Amino acid sequence: MEIDGNTLIFIILILFLFFSSPGGNGVTSQYEFNQIHLFTQQLETEYSAFQNLTYNSNFKNITGLKLSYNDVMENPLINATYPIDSKNYEQWYNNENYLIMPDEIIQTIGDSVWNLTNDEQKNIFPPIITSTLLGSINLDSNNKYSKIRMPLANFYEPARDFSDNVPPMGETYIDDWEDYGEIHNVTFTKGEMKVQFTHVDKVHTSLQSKKKKYFNTQDENWKLLNVKVDFTDKNENEKHSINTLGIYDIRTGRILAMSESAKFHSLFALPHYMSVGNSRTEQKEVFEQSKKLIAEYWNTSNYIDTLTMGYLNTMYDDAVEKCEFMMFFQLKPWNQYNKDQLKIIDDELKWPLGRPANLSHIPDITVTSALVYSPDCGISLSTKNIHGERYELKIRSIRMHLLCGIFLFVAQIYLLLRQMQHTNTPSSVNKISFYTFCMINLVDGCLATLYFISATLVPELYLPLVISAFASFILASIFETRYLISVYASQVNERNVGIVTLLTGHTEDPETSNQRPVVIPDEASISSSLYGRFAITLITFTFLILNSMSWPRHFRIMFEYSAIFILNSYWWPQVFRNAIKGIPSRRERERIENLANRRQNKMPLLWKFIIGTTFIRTLPIVYFFTYSSNIFRHHKDTRFVVILSLWLLFQIAVLYSQDILGARWFLSQHTIPEGYTYFKPVSLALLKEHDDVNDTIDTGNKAISNENHPSNITTTVDCAICMSEVPVYVEELPETHGVDIHDYMVTPCNHIFHTLCLENWMSYKLQCPVCRAPLPPC
Amino acid sequence: MSSKRISKELRDIERDPPTSCSAGPVGDDLYHWQASIMGPPDSPYAGGVFFLSIHFPTDYPFKPPKIAFTTKIYHPNINANGNICLDILKDQWSPALTLSKVLLSICSLLTDANPDDPLVPEIAHIYKTDRPKYEATAREWTKKYAV
Repeated sequence: MEIDGNTLIFIILILFLFFSSPGGNGVTSQYEFNQIHLFTQQLETEYSAFQNLTYNSNFKNITGLKLSYNDVMENPLINATYPIDSKNYEQWYNNENYLIMPDEIIQTIGDSVWNLTNDEQKNIFPPIITSTLLGSINLDSNNKYSKIRMPLANFYEPARDFSDNVPPMGETYIDDWEDYGEIHNVTFTKGEMKVQFTHVDKVHTSLQSKKKKYFNTQDENWKLLNVKVDFTDKNENEKHSINTLGIYDIRTGRILAMSESAKFHSLFALPHYMSVGNSRTEQKEVFEQSKKLIAEYWNTSNYIDTLTMGYLNTMYDDAVEKCEFMMFFQLKPWNQYNKDQLKIIDDELKWPLGRPANLSHIPDITVTSALVYSPDCGISLSTKNIHGERYELKIRSIRMHLLCGIFLFVAQIYLLLRQMQHTNTPSSVNKISFYTFCMINLVDGCLATLYFISATLVPELYLPLVISAFASFILASIFETRYLISVYASQVNERNVGIVTLLTGHTEDPETSNQRPVVIPDEASISSSLYGRFAITLITFTFLILNSMSWPRHFRIMFEYSAIFILNSYWWPQVFRNAIKGIPSRRERERIENLANRRQNKMPLLWKFIIGTTFIRTLPIVYFFTYSSNIFRHHKDTRFVVILSLWLLFQIAVLYSQDILGARWFLSQHTIPEGYTYFKPVSLALLKEHDDVNDTIDTGNKAISNENHPSNITTTVDCAICMSEVPVYVEELPETHGVDIHDYMVTPCNHIFHTLCLENWMSYKLQCPVCRAPLPPC
Repeated sequence: MSSKRISKELRDIERDPPTSCSAGPVGDDLYHWQASIMGPPDSPYAGGVFFLSIHFPTDYPFKPPKIAFTTKIYHPNINANGNICLDILKDQWSPALTLSKVLLSICSLLTDANPDDPLVPEIAHIYKTDRPKYEATAREWTKKYAV
């Protein structure tokens, strides 16, 4: 192929497009390109204004910071423009004339939040504070303060249609829009608060690079944090969440975080507001150092080059939907340690090598007091004593709990194996309730999937979570499902018999019911269908659980309680099954055992298995519902645990009573169904039908004289198992009435065997040896 | 119980031997038998006499007897070790079956192989795709090993 100029240009163009188009910033149209461009310009102007900001000058043209509280007080409808006439931008004091907070709030911050005076390093604060803090939050005032007007630049708005290329200019005030209602308000007076601190030590230097770079040269004294704050009312009807950057002054234990949005570029406000509550001489130092921190972060992360459409949209959404919040936290000092000890603790937590750090006694990260103020909604909230342990410690304790969980799984596998050994014949497996094990299996299967899902979410716990998932998966899908398959296989010939029939015995004529063609599926098809059902139920239930986590609190609690309650009723199906099978009382069983040496007549479930399984399954629930400091922060509810334990004990008591008194003691005598009885007299017609080897009675059926009862003539048939004769009791022939009907068994398909022979065979397979029809277990 | 039933079967087989089959214990051991099957005349095994070894388990008749060809035979359901793939010798065993019934089943397996459930897939493939070749090989093996 000849390459002429045009082709070459085409190839270059394609390559250019190929290498240039996916910029990584998510821009897909001209409109968005212009949006990003305007956004960049805005931030660049504001950053240069920020650079020129000194301790003694006011914010100039920075979004959200153009007005002070006093400006709004004087004229509530003032336009947030720069410059405002009669405003002196070349001085700064920490009062409402300059800040966007009223003096009252500033006073509160100084007096009751950032009130620790740090005279020459008296207080020591932990330098690394990655943790999740929990506590309660109170609404202090809702409509007391004037709202700072924060305009939103119009270019943030998404394009109205595809032909739109140029974003609109100018700005609008959210307050002028239609009512945003409760979102811009806090309606509860007492709620719950969750604060997550994570350190931002390293940043990506460009959108493409995977490498992260350290930027903080004042690491000893200042930390940049990612602060996530959520506060909700008790019922979680109203939720406010803020995810933003914060700065932490290690020397004073002060943390400042301000929400960031398209109408409030709080990053540039951090230095000035960090100095609130300090003495005049300290203020300048704090301002300069925190400004340096912000500048270093800005430059190393290439802030304006790494802007994406996603970030722009989040900024816009936050500006439209949420109040801005400024959060002032005061940490509790760890004065019991010196700086060297703190360093050892931090190193040990990061790389556990066994340094002399007593990790079990590390105190919680505690915020002694905090103030949350919204300048644009005029809301003020406060909180005291929220605390939580260091993230690494939390991970450690979760790991310990997971190990305990694995131990429980192993114990359950052991018990199940013992139980499987106990019921190793089809007729004993037949007495096991399928649904009892379905419930047990469902719980274990769900645990396995939830463990797998969380393994991908928490990388620090990947290994223990995967091991737990594996243990529960083996338990659920190998052992329990195997057992379910054998239970199902042994009960498959009951499948087309209704519950009523099972309970009231064989109401149908056995002759007709046995005419029904019964196809016994082989084990392979049973297992494939059961595994399919197992998988589908598992997936449905797991999705239901995951979905329920986002439900409103009271629905969620209701779902949780009812699910736990229902899934912990696992012994009832077995009680029911015992009653259907009519297992005799313990004394009766012992009598039969001594008489006939029959080993089938035992309780289907081992007592060891029942007690052990109940214990293993209740233990985690008891832990989560009674220890208030449990790893999932599950709320405490001792009453529920007590009710649940009583419920389980009641189930065990019923099972025990069935063991002692017989499985049907609670049913009145006449409702007790007669199961199929193998021991019955034989009719002459049946005998004729049965005898294909021997001649019929009329033409001289082989009759032998019984040695014990020489006067009795008994009719015999051949037992197909031992191939010797079976004397039978024939109703029509009185001379056969000396035969004990317990010496032979008549199957529903009218084949006759010795009792010993057929019982022996039924311990292998519940199938008639002659015609392969399914046999009801005896 | 098992010895009683086995001796009963032995008596039956001696009294009324099945056509083209014979069986009997090896030496004094009632649980170890030897059997011979004449190749069915309408099969490529015609003219051959095939020997089988039979081991009865102690819990016979609740477990099937272990039967294997000692004569080499070219058959989709019988492998080089003489193991037979027959459902009634495995999970479809029933205590009502007797050795003579099992031997008859093996006879009919020689006439009608079951290539859909093969023990030797190569032979089954030839059986399905090139029947004359299969018959020729079977005849050749019969001549070589079973005459």
